[in-house]
Amino acid sequence: MKQIILKRLSMLVLVLVGVTMLTFFLSHVIPGDPARMMVGQRATEETLQEVRRQLGLDQPVWVQYFTYIQGLFAGDLGTSIRTQQPVSDDLLTFFPATLELALLAFVIAILFGVPIGILSAVKKDTAWDHAGRLFSIAGVSTPVFWSGLVGILIFYKFLDWLPSSGRLDLSVPPPLKITGLYLLDSLLTGNWAAFKNSLLHLLLPSFTLAFAQLAIVTRQVRASMLEVLGQEYIRTALANGISGPVLLFRYALRNALIPTITVVGLSFGSLLGGAVVTETIFSWPGMGKYVVDSIAFLDFPAIMGFTFVISIGYVLINLLVDLTYYALNPEMKE
Amino acid sequence: MSRRWLLALLTLLFSLSLALSACSSPTNQTQDKPADPAAPKTEPAKTANETPADTLFVSISADQGTLDPAVTMDNSAWKITYHAYQRLVEYDGASTEVKPGLAKEWKVSPDGMQWTFTLQEGNKFADGTPVTAEAVKFSFDRILQIKKGPYDVYSVIKEVKVDSPTSVTFVLAKNFPPFLSTLAANYGSIVNPKVKEKEQNGDLGQNFLANNTMGSGPYQLAEWKKGEYFKLTQNPNSTVKSTFKEVYFKITPDATAQRLQLESGEIDIAEGIPTEQLGAIKELSNVEVLQQPSLFVDYVYINSSKGNPALQNPKVRQALSYAIDYKALTDSVQEGYATQMRGPIPKGLWGHDEAAFQYTQDVEKAKALLAEAGVSNLSLTLLYSDARTWWETEALTLQAFLADIGVELKLNKIANATSREMIDKGEFDLALGVWSPDFGDPFMFMNYWFDSNNFGLAGNRAFYKNDKVDELVRKAATTNDQAEREKLYQEAQKIVIDEAPYIYLYQKDFLLPVSKRVKGFVYNPMLEGIYNLAEMSK
Repeated sequence: MKQIILKRLSMLVLVLVGVTMLTFFLSHVIPGDPARMMVGQRATEETLQEVRRQLGLDQPVWVQYFTYIQGLFAGDLGTSIRTQQPVSDDLLTFFPATLELALLAFVIAILFGVPIGILSAVKKDTAWDHAGRLFSIAGVSTPVFWSGLVGILIFYKFLDWLPSSGRLDLSVPPPLKITGLYLLDSLLTGNWAAFKNSLLHLLLPSFTLAFAQLAIVTRQVRASMLEVLGQEYIRTALANGISGPVLLFRYALRNALIPTITVVGLSFGSLLGGAVVTETIFSWPGMGKYVVDSIAFLDFPAIMGFTFVISIGYVLINLLVDLTYYALNPEMKE
Repeated sequence: MSRRWLLALLTLLFSLSLALSACSSPTNQTQDKPADPAAPKTEPAKTANETPADTLFVSISADQGTLDPAVTMDNSAWKITYHAYQRLVEYDGASTEVKPGLAKEWKVSPDGMQWTFTLQEGNKFADGTPVTAEAVKFSFDRILQIKKGPYDVYSVIKEVKVDSPTSVTFVLAKNFPPFLSTLAANYGSIVNPKVKEKEQNGDLGQNFLANNTMGSGPYQLAEWKKGEYFKLTQNPNSTVKSTFKEVYFKITPDATAQRLQLESGEIDIAEGIPTEQLGAIKELSNVEVLQQPSLFVDYVYINSSKGNPALQNPKVRQALSYAIDYKALTDSVQEGYATQMRGPIPKGLWGHDEAAFQYTQDVEKAKALLAEAGVSNLSLTLLYSDARTWWETEALTLQAFLADIGVELKLNKIANATSREMIDKGEFDLALGVWSPDFGDPFMFMNYWFDSNNFGLAGNRAFYKNDKVDELVRKAATTNDQAEREKLYQEAQKIVIDEAPYIYLYQKDFLLPVSKRVKGFVYNPMLEGIYNLAEMSK
C-alpha cells in the first residue's frame, strides 16, 4: 500500500516536469505576443521592446523556462501578465469556487447516477430501463449552455426560486475564509445566512453540470451490474437463497463499482478543468473562465499555473481511485 | 424478484426525494429573504428584484486586468476607474471638446511647447490629501518611468515643472496640438503620490493600483471580487456631489443571463447584449435602448505594400471599394445600427468633411478598374479574428460582394493574439479592423492611419505610403491653428479617399439597453462605454 503511494507520488514529479515543459514550449511556439496584448494596439516598437524586457520575454525560451522552474521550486508560479497579480493568488481566488461546484455536481451525479444505473440493470429491457437510460442520455446529449439556460428560465425567470448568477447575493457577505468553499466555510463558522444563500446559488449550476455527467455514471454502473449479475457466483448465491438487497449490494454492486470508480474519477477531473461553459452561463467566478481569458491574452504564466494545478489534481485523483480499488478488492491487497 | 423490484424503486425514489427536497426547500427560504436589502419585504418576489434607488447595477461581460491608469490601455478597464480619478481637463457633456477639470485655466506658449495649468483649489484625494501641482507632476513622471502603454502618448513630454502648489507647466519636446485633448483621457488621471508607500520592488505602486484606486474623483473602488463584481463607493472628500452611493459592475459573461436580469430588474444597464437581440429588448416595458452615433469605426485594411502585389495599384483598391453595397452590409452585419463612413474622419469629430467623396456600389465600374489595372482572376485573403462577434458575418458578406466583381476572397480566421501579430508584420492581403479615438482630435485618425512612420499595428495597418500625405498630416500635427489644421487634414483626406488604402465601411452606433428608471446618462463619443456616474440617478 505504502509502496503504491510512494510510486504514484514519484510519478507525480515526472508528470509535472513533462507537463510544464510541454505547456511552456507550446505556449511559446504559438505566434502572438503577450507584451503586445498588454501595451494596447497603438504602441510603438520602442515601448513594446521595453515591456518585453520588463516581462523577460526578450530572453531565449529555454532561459525563460529555467527561470520559471527555479521560481516553481521556490513556490512561485510567476506573475500573470493580464492581471499583474501573482498567479498563485489568482488560482487561490478562483480554484475554491470551481472545486465547490465540481464537488457538489459530482455528488449529485453519483446520487442519481448509481441508483438509475442499478435500476436499469435490474430491470433490463423494461420501461424502467428505457426511462432511466433516456434520462441519462438526455443529460449527456444536451449541451450545457442550453440546459443551463433552460434551468435559469424556469427557476429564475418563471418561478423566481433560485438566483441566476454568482456565488452569493451582493447583500450577503461571504463567510470567513477557511477553505474558500462557501458552503463548507459557512457551515464551519455557523453562518447560516451565507450557507442558505450559497446553497441557493449552487443548485442551478451544480445540477446543470451533474446532468451532463450523469450518463457516464449511469451507463457504467448499468453495464458492470449486468456483467456481474450474469456471473456464476451470483447464480450460486441465488440458488442458495440469497436475494434482494443483500445480493444486490453486498455481492453485486461491490464488484460492479470497481470499473465505475475509474470512470467516475476521470469525470471528476474533467469537471475541475472543463466547467468553462457552466461557469460562463452562471457567472460563476471559477478557474475555467479565468484560464480562457488567460489563453485569449496569451498570458502563459497563468496558463502554466492552471495546467500545473490541474495535473496535480489528476494525479491525485488517480491515486485515490487506485486506493479505492484496494479497499474494494481484497485480492489486490496481497 | 418482486423484492428486488421494490428495492430498486425505493432507491430511486429516495434519491429523487433528496434532490427534490434540495430544490424545494429554497422555495420557502426565498419567501422571507428579500433579494435586496432595501427592497420592502412584503412585496411579491418579482418586484423584490427592483434595485435600490441609491445604487446602480451595471452588467459587464468580462473581468478586467490591471486598473492602473499608467498601465492599462483597455477601454473596459477605464470605465471602472475613470470616476475614481480626476484629470486636469474633462470632456464637456456630449462634446469632444474639453472643459476645466482639476485645472481651472490654462495657457499655451505661442510655439506650442509649453502648457501651463492653474489648479482649482479644494480638490482632495479619497484619503483627504489635497491635489497639488506636485501630484500632477508625480502622475506624469510615473507614466514616463513605467514605460507601458500610455507612455507612447506622453513620450512627447520633456519635463513637468512645478511652478507653485497650484501651477504646473508641461514642457514638450515638440509642438503637439492634440496634447490638451489627451489630458482628458483615462491615462491623464491624477494619482495620489502616497501610492509610493505601497511600492513593491520599485514597481511605483503598479501592483497596488492594479487592484485599487487612489484618486480624487467622486468615487473610489471599495471592493473587487475577482470574477464577480466591482463595487464603487463615494469618495468622502470629493468636491463633486453624486447621487449613487454605490455602483456595482457585475461580471456576467453570458448575454442571455444579462438579458434576463435586465428584464427582471435585477440590473439597470446590460452592456453585453448583442445587436440582434436588441429588437426584442426594445419591446420590454421597463427598458429602453439608447442609440447614439459613435466614433467607433469598422473598416478593412488593404495591404498596399506587403500583400498581394496587385493591391499596390490604387485602381485595384478603388475597385474593391466600389464592389460593396454599404447599406446592405450595415443592414446584415449591424442590423442597420450604423452609418457608412465618409472618408477616414468619422462624423461627430472636427475635421470630418461632409462634402467628401463616398464610394457606392458600382459593379461595372469596379470591373472596368480591374481591367484597366490589368488584373484578372484576383484571389485575396481576408484576415480576421474572433475579437468582434460580427466579423464572421462581415467577412462572408464581403466575400459575396467581391465575388460579384470577379475577386475571390479566401477567409482566414485566426485567434486574436495571433492575428494582431500578423497585422503588425503585414502578413495579409485584406484584414478587418476597428478603431476608436482616445482623444478628440483628427490626429487619432489621420496621423495614425496614414503616416508612413506608423506601419503595422501602431496605426498604418494598410502599410500605405504617400509622400504628399505624409507631409500634410505631419504639418497638421505641428500646427497650432485649428482652422489651418482642418484644411490640411481635408486635403490629405481627398488623397486617401481616392487612393483607398482602406475600405471605409461604417461608424457603429452606440447602443445601450438601460432601465427606464436610470436618469441623466450622457453619452460622450470620446468616452465610449464610460458612464457619467456623478450626474446619473434613478
